[in-house]
Amino acid sequence: MAETEKGFEPKIIAFCCNWCSYAGADLAGSMRLKYPANVLPIRVMCSGRISPHFILKAFQRGADGVLVTGCHYGDCHYIKGNYITKRRVTIMKDLLKFVGIDPRRLRADWIAASEGDKFAKVATEFTEEIRALGPSPLRG
Amino acid sequence: MENLKKNIKDMLESGEIAGFLGLIEEEGHPIPFLFTKDSLDKLDALTVPDIRYPMTDILLKIVRKYPEDTIGVMVRGCDDRALIELAKNQKILSDLIRPIGVACTKEMAEYCRCSQPYPREIHYGEKVEGVKDRSDLEKVESMDLSDRLDYWMGQFSKCIKCYGCRNICSMCFCDQCTLEDDTLILTGQAPPEIPIFHLIRAFHMAGRCIDCGLCEEACPAHIPLRSLYRKVREDMADYLGYVTGMDETERDPLEFLGSDGYEVPTKIDET
Ligand code: SF4
Ligand code: SF4
Ligand code: SF4
Ligand code: FES
Repeated sequence: MAETEKGFEPKIIAFCCNWCSYAGADLAGSMRLKYPANVLPIRVMCSGRISPHFILKAFQRGADGVLVTGCHYGDCHYIKGNYITKRRVTIMKDLLKFVGIDPRRLRADWIAASEGDKFAKVATEFTEEIRALGPSPLRG
Repeated sequence: MENLKKNIKDMLESGEIAGFLGLIEEEGHPIPFLFTKDSLDKLDALTVPDIRYPMTDILLKIVRKYPEDTIGVMVRGCDDRALIELAKNQKILSDLIRPIGVACTKEMAEYCRCSQPYPREIHYGEKVEGVKDRSDLEKVESMDLSDRLDYWMGQFSKCIKCYGCRNICSMCFCDQCTLEDDTLILTGQAPPEIPIFHLIRAFHMAGRCIDCGLCEEACPAHIPLRSLYRKVREDMADYLGYVTGMDETERDPLEFLGSDGYEVPTKIDET
């Protein structure tokens, strides 16, 4: 899995909460900051809405990486959704690892509405990391 | 045994309980039986064999049918842990349940690789110490990532989607099962989509599974399901300090944030 296949373009699903990180992604766009087209943002109302099932389904359908983003602690519009998110992602990473899926394929990060630059940075960094990991072993 | 029978008889006769869920021996086979005031004679056939039944799963069906009645039930350590979880999840009211505790034998504890082979209160049998054995997890952990995936995909591909693992599990009490939700998993095909079918259930068991091992025993494809659930159970303890089946007043940290700080785990080993 180490060698990166020539021409491998990672498919990355980014779940973004409406209030912060999706707005951050939007801002990245209006600031004309470049982030890789590999990253497909999906808007949800709160990172707490990102059911662990969504993460599993993304991998099942061939995502090479899944990015879960929400508001910074203290900023969640539903008060504490992002704390639950963090807990879920922690357990999920370990479960993925246990069955042989590299836990680095799942990442959680907090991005404010004003942080268009952070969104672009995280998206770019993560895409490169996934590119280095190669295609998901679950890709059919 | 005679004491046990008398105890149950007294509770039924006095009306303390409306029914008692235990096992009877019928034509050489132990089967579950709901004793009532009208079937006291059946108590002669009461048995406590070295085999297991999903007692709390059956209890749940009884409670749903007779929600007002107080029911007695024979519980082993695992059943008792299940009672605690069912109460936490508001599936039963502890006030309406009278557990009659049975301690498991050393042989059973070893067979089940059980960490706590006894209930909170023991009415029958002698308490033996639990077995600490995580060799099933170690076996998987000794493999590198790609071998692990091969191993698990090989196991999962044997699945005939009988739902036996779910049906026997006392902790699978949801009204609508995610495993049958075709927006998440393609339904109507066997084997099911893998690994998602098994991983959804595994994640669900985090903060729920009480490690009785019945699912693995029921699986006709001999998939080592229990190690998946033991893994998340261990993670819940390591990262979030939460162990199921211990205390009715604790809350699952994946569902409840709690009020005394919500430390976020940082101990994530990604190597
Ligand atoms: S899992 Fe433990 S408590 Fe349950 S039957 Fe086995 S030894 Fe007894
Ligand atoms: S070991 Fe299996 S049957 Fe028992 S509680 Fe856990 S998932 Fe359910
Ligand atoms: S019991 Fe085994 S074969 Fe049946 S659905 Fe569960 S994992 Fe699949
Ligand atoms: S609203 Fe953004 S994480 Fe809850």
